[in-house]
Amino acid sequence: MTTKTLYKSYIIEEYQLDEEPYYVPVGDEIELFEAAYRERLPLIFKGPTGCGKTRFVEYMSYKLGVELRKNSKRTDDSDSVNLPLVTIACHEDLTSSDLVGRYLLEGDQTVWIDGPLTRAVKAGGICYLDEVVEARKDTTVLIHPLTDHRRMLPVEKRGELLEAADGFLLVLSYNPGYQSALKDLKHSTRQRFVSIEFDYPPLEIEAQIVQHEAGVDEKTASQLAKLGEKIRNLKEHGLGEGASTRLLIYAGKLIASGIPPRRACQVSVNWAVTDDHSVQQSITEIIASIFE
Amino acid sequence: MSEDSINDKWPELKKFPESVEKNFISSLSAMPDALSESQIRDWYQQGISLASQTVRSWESAAHFFAVSPSVLKSMPYSYFEKWMECGEKLCNESPTLASAYFESSPGTMSQLRSRHIEEWASLGDQLYKGTWKSSTLACRFFVLSPILLSQLSFNQLQTFSQFLDKLAHRSYDLALECLNLGEQIFPLVGEDKDAFLSLATALVETGWREVKSFFDSGAKALPRIDPDERIRFLQLAENLVKNGGTNIPGTMLEISQSLAELDQEKHSVVLALSESLLEFEPLAMPDFINSSPMIFEKLTTSQFGKWYEEGVNVIQNNPDAGIAYFKVESAHSENTIEMLSSGIEFDRIKTVMEMYCRGLAGAEIKLSSTEALVEKNIGWVSKNSPTTEGSTVFVPTIVDRYPTKEENFAWFKVVSTHQVAHLEFGSFIFDFNKKSALFDDLRAILEKKQLDAIENSKKSNEILDESSSTTEFSETSQNLEKAWISDMQRFFNLFEDRQLSLDIFTVVESARLDAKVLVEYPGIKTFYLQVQNDSLDDRPDIKELPAREAIVEFMLRVSLQQYEGVSIPLKYKSEIQQIIQIMKRVTLHESLVEDSAEASIRIYAIIASIPNEDIPEEDWEDPSFDDEEDYEDPDEMEQMLMDMGMGMEMELRPEGEEDYETMQEVEYRGDFKPELSQLMNEMRMQQQDQSGGAQGDPLTQDQLKELLENSAELDMQTVQGEIQESSGVFADNLIKEAGTNLPQSPDDNQGKYVHVDEDGGELQPGEPETFVYDEWDFRAEDYKPRWCIVKQKLMQEGDPAYFSSTLNEYSTLVTRIRRQFEMMVPEMLRKERKLSDGEDIDIDDVIENMVDIKAGSSPDEKFYWRRNKVQRDVAVAFLLDTSASTAEAIDEGKGRQDEWDAPDDPVEYMVWLRTRRGQQMRRSYKRIIDVEKESMVLLINALEAIGDVYGIYGFSGYGRENVEYYTVKDLQENFSDKVKRRIDRIAPLHATRMGPAIRHTAHKLNQIDARTKILFLISDGRPQDRGYSREGVEKEYAVHDTKMALDEAKKIGINSFCLTVDKSGHDYLKTMTSDMGYEILDDINDLPERLLVLYRRLTM
Repeated sequence: MTTKTLYKSYIIEEYQLDEEPYYVPVGDEIELFEAAYRERLPLIFKGPTGCGKTRFVEYMSYKLGVELRKNSKRTDDSDSVNLPLVTIACHEDLTSSDLVGRYLLEGDQTVWIDGPLTRAVKAGGICYLDEVVEARKDTTVLIHPLTDHRRMLPVEKRGELLEAADGFLLVLSYNPGYQSALKDLKHSTRQRFVSIEFDYPPLEIEAQIVQHEAGVDEKTASQLAKLGEKIRNLKEHGLGEGASTRLLIYAGKLIASGIPPRRACQVSVNWAVTDDHSVQQSITEIIASIFE
Repeated sequence: MSEDSINDKWPELKKFPESVEKNFISSLSAMPDALSESQIRDWYQQGISLASQTVRSWESAAHFFAVSPSVLKSMPYSYFEKWMECGEKLCNESPTLASAYFESSPGTMSQLRSRHIEEWASLGDQLYKGTWKSSTLACRFFVLSPILLSQLSFNQLQTFSQFLDKLAHRSYDLALECLNLGEQIFPLVGEDKDAFLSLATALVETGWREVKSFFDSGAKALPRIDPDERIRFLQLAENLVKNGGTNIPGTMLEISQSLAELDQEKHSVVLALSESLLEFEPLAMPDFINSSPMIFEKLTTSQFGKWYEEGVNVIQNNPDAGIAYFKVESAHSENTIEMLSSGIEFDRIKTVMEMYCRGLAGAEIKLSSTEALVEKNIGWVSKNSPTTEGSTVFVPTIVDRYPTKEENFAWFKVVSTHQVAHLEFGSFIFDFNKKSALFDDLRAILEKKQLDAIENSKKSNEILDESSSTTEFSETSQNLEKAWISDMQRFFNLFEDRQLSLDIFTVVESARLDAKVLVEYPGIKTFYLQVQNDSLDDRPDIKELPAREAIVEFMLRVSLQQYEGVSIPLKYKSEIQQIIQIMKRVTLHESLVEDSAEASIRIYAIIASIPNEDIPEEDWEDPSFDDEEDYEDPDEMEQMLMDMGMGMEMELRPEGEEDYETMQEVEYRGDFKPELSQLMNEMRMQQQDQSGGAQGDPLTQDQLKELLENSAELDMQTVQGEIQESSGVFADNLIKEAGTNLPQSPDDNQGKYVHVDEDGGELQPGEPETFVYDEWDFRAEDYKPRWCIVKQKLMQEGDPAYFSSTLNEYSTLVTRIRRQFEMMVPEMLRKERKLSDGEDIDIDDVIENMVDIKAGSSPDEKFYWRRNKVQRDVAVAFLLDTSASTAEAIDEGKGRQDEWDAPDDPVEYMVWLRTRRGQQMRRSYKRIIDVEKESMVLLINALEAIGDVYGIYGFSGYGRENVEYYTVKDLQENFSDKVKRRIDRIAPLHATRMGPAIRHTAHKLNQIDARTKILFLISDGRPQDRGYSREGVEKEYAVHDTKMALDEAKKIGINSFCLTVDKSGHDYLKTMTSDMGYEILDDINDLPERLLVLYRRLTM
């Protein structure tokens, strides 16, 4: 008798995207990424939340993975060639053991378990450290040897030095929006990366994205994009962050499934971006102007 | 009758001075014939007996004889006898009195029923008490009787005299004055003399000193009130008197003033409500009436009633709260008005709408009321038209056009959206050289033609006259053009009739914007169309306008979506058709401001060719146009342009044509002044360039003046004075206005003292860096809205040496403190052991664990460790009391802090303060403030070691409108030499109004992102200020307000701590800080050390 698996799970090294993620390039970021990958230069994505950084990494890992397989098929017929994507969401309690690995007690002995970074290094995948400023400073230093010519990960506790597999690339994302003096990347860290700046896409492209992702008609999509633009105008005037493309897509999805547009924007955009009552009222008025 | 016979017949006459006899004889002949001999004899006898009563009584007799005939005319003889009797009686008392009585009798008798004679006489008699003063009063009473009786019934006269009598008990002079005033006042009182008199009588009992001013103010107050309602007014006043009201005359004046501001038909409503208010709390009544004009501005009568009812509910629970409510000095009252009123007040929605506008335009837009713009006097004159000048959108202060709030708000939104559209869709970024997308560009061609024409005429001028002055002039004007002409001006320079071109451009541009808005913002469409439709109601009748104006009007109607029911002059149908086509091209397509400009040129050319004549009634028809056809430039356009280029387009007008007059503006579109707006923007930019050190030819005032005079946008007639003058004023103001956007250097002055009455209303923040806060009124249990103005200033800078010398002075303490504080940091990073989960296993614990397992006992699973992640994330604001009392020497005067013997008048106060401070200056010992300063130095030194965010502020002030708030170090600011300098200048100033200072500090802390926020208040006594703590027993007021301010801070996550050196502080600090911390220092010299210890304890 076999137990039926009720959920999908992947082994880190094997996780890759099967379908091409939807991504509309705004500038030359695809070319930049490809070039950087060719030279194995680590990357930082800078940009506000929800503007498509993670989606871009997914897209690139898929794209590069496909190319890799294409190339390797000519020489070697193995299916196991892939480019896994290891995503690590950083938080302020993230310690170096969380990344590298730790000893666990199993029965009466200790067992070493690799952390996700170590696994990515070994497997030669793209390791994506999301919101890296959130991590503790001593943690971020850990990645330094990986980012220069050495491409090594020291695993102190085991007394090892791991050399990164050929496909390995480190990508960080970082949102300068809520940058405070405390939460900033050290210069020694920053200067090891190629930076790609992201921002919300221009009106037309954003409309296109919203239309595709949310499955709304063209008019609604462009209205949502317009709303996004207007709300972003309020940044620095009481809003910490503008409405992200992601939020606009949420709103679009709600509209697509039958929620009246004003209501949908209210719950998915307005109340998400701020708790300040008067800002909320202003946004409500903007919504009421744009949507019937 | 001969002299002898007289002597025979009336022998006694000779005994008296001649006038007695003379009067007798002349009266005798005037006596009615019907009198019998004996009656005459009686009369004579009466006179003689009068005359012989005392030495001076012959005067009375003389009067008696003189008036007798006329008296006898108005009464039968029987009453005449009575009259004589009364006279004699009076003469017994005082001959003077009797004289007055006789003298006024003829006048009085004609108005008095004869049966009242006795009573009347006795009235005067009663007033006479045998003294000289009472005699004057009584005489005056008789003298004035005829006049009084012409106004009063006899009963009323009785009441009046009783009143006088009562008053006379207190003061004869006063009574006399009132008697004299009565003559003036009774005609004013109208029908309600009873009420007036009974009020006056009541007043004598409660406050006789006010009686005279009551008469005075009565004379002023009553005419202001609807005659039918005066009696109620008086009754109200009387009721107030009976209920212990004070300063009745003043109150009467005030409320009559308030009533005068109301329409007369509202008097009865207000008075009726006031009457019913008396049942609950008579003392609230004056406030209620005084507030009513303000409230009627916002509410209808029925809404007013509801507001009143709510007030009654409040007053039944808490009379103090009720009074505050009716004064509209409580938040509850304001909210009720706001809830009831259908109008939208600009102030209430400012933040929301400003944000809305910024969102739409994507620019730093300010929202302001139109009044503010008019006050600037830079060319905008209408207080009701919304407008924009490129960076600020101006809207009316209050909108109450529709019956519901929603509609009014929607109107507001439509107006704002339209104004913002000017910015969003670029009305002001007009570029003369930018190509139009929809039309062939004519601007450049036209300009060239004009320049050619000028060139030609110049050439011919030069041939005629080679005087240098003309060339000089044209050079300057050309320079001017190059340096300073905005694109918009360049465009309008193309037209001869600027007003016409401006109107056309305004209509076309507005139509373009409306079309844009409707496409871009479908959500607002419904109401936008409704507003457009509603504005049609105000339009003039097109048929009464001459041709050109009619066509512009027609364009406007089309731009407001009115396609039917407007007539057009028949003979210009094809022209109008063309115009419509041009407009449609702009509105139906994606268009820019340049397209509007091109369209305007064409429309102008068409309209300019039409004479501005009246069109006869029968030549009008309702148009029906072919929508399909698209506009193409007709062949004549070339010729028209030619004419315009020559400046000839207006030459063709026929004789007797009317001048073109500007159209009536559409209210929601407001005042559109593209030229001026662009000018302002450019001036602003120039100003910024200059301050940035860049090169730029500054525009002189004269050049600006010239530019302004050319513009059609300035309506010089609406401004008083010569055109020359007013354009000069505008130019001045414009330059000023453009300069205001520059960052201003912080000024050092300590502020002017503007005296605002404590009883007054709300305050508005005027200058930048001022903030308005509510104040808690514990009696009313409600906030007094917008009650205090906090003026934030940077502390002046002094000598930085103070800082280091203080550190030297306390060097031992400094090192100790610094070490203690530095130790706080490592404490944060302690390793925490024995956790069930953590960074890593603790090898010692694991070994122990293994041992346990081997030993067969149950192991402790907690063998992980991790670093304590408690991060120091503290923001603290120190609020220093820099009130005058901190100038107290340390060893003395501690007991004095509770005294507040400062004069109430601001001027006197300043003098008082100066002498007080002067006294302190001469002494060399330490003051409280010095210790405070030293503490700050040590504190900064310590805080810099641990890197907490901290700010230091001082506060003081005088009165609610002058709460001064000095920044020594702002929370976000880094420690620098400047801070050192500022500390040196901390000095005792004025009073201690803690509430607003705390609120402002809390507001600042709230903007900081920190886990722990602390407000540290260092003071030397209880809060006190004019109108804050001095109101007699109401010391508590200040304490309660401060407590409330601290509570508010607590609510937004700010912990407060009060440190005071006032030994009597326990009694109020307990109330003030409730469960928050406070400490009283026994010795002020402990302050530096204690402060740091407390700080450490608080932030751990």
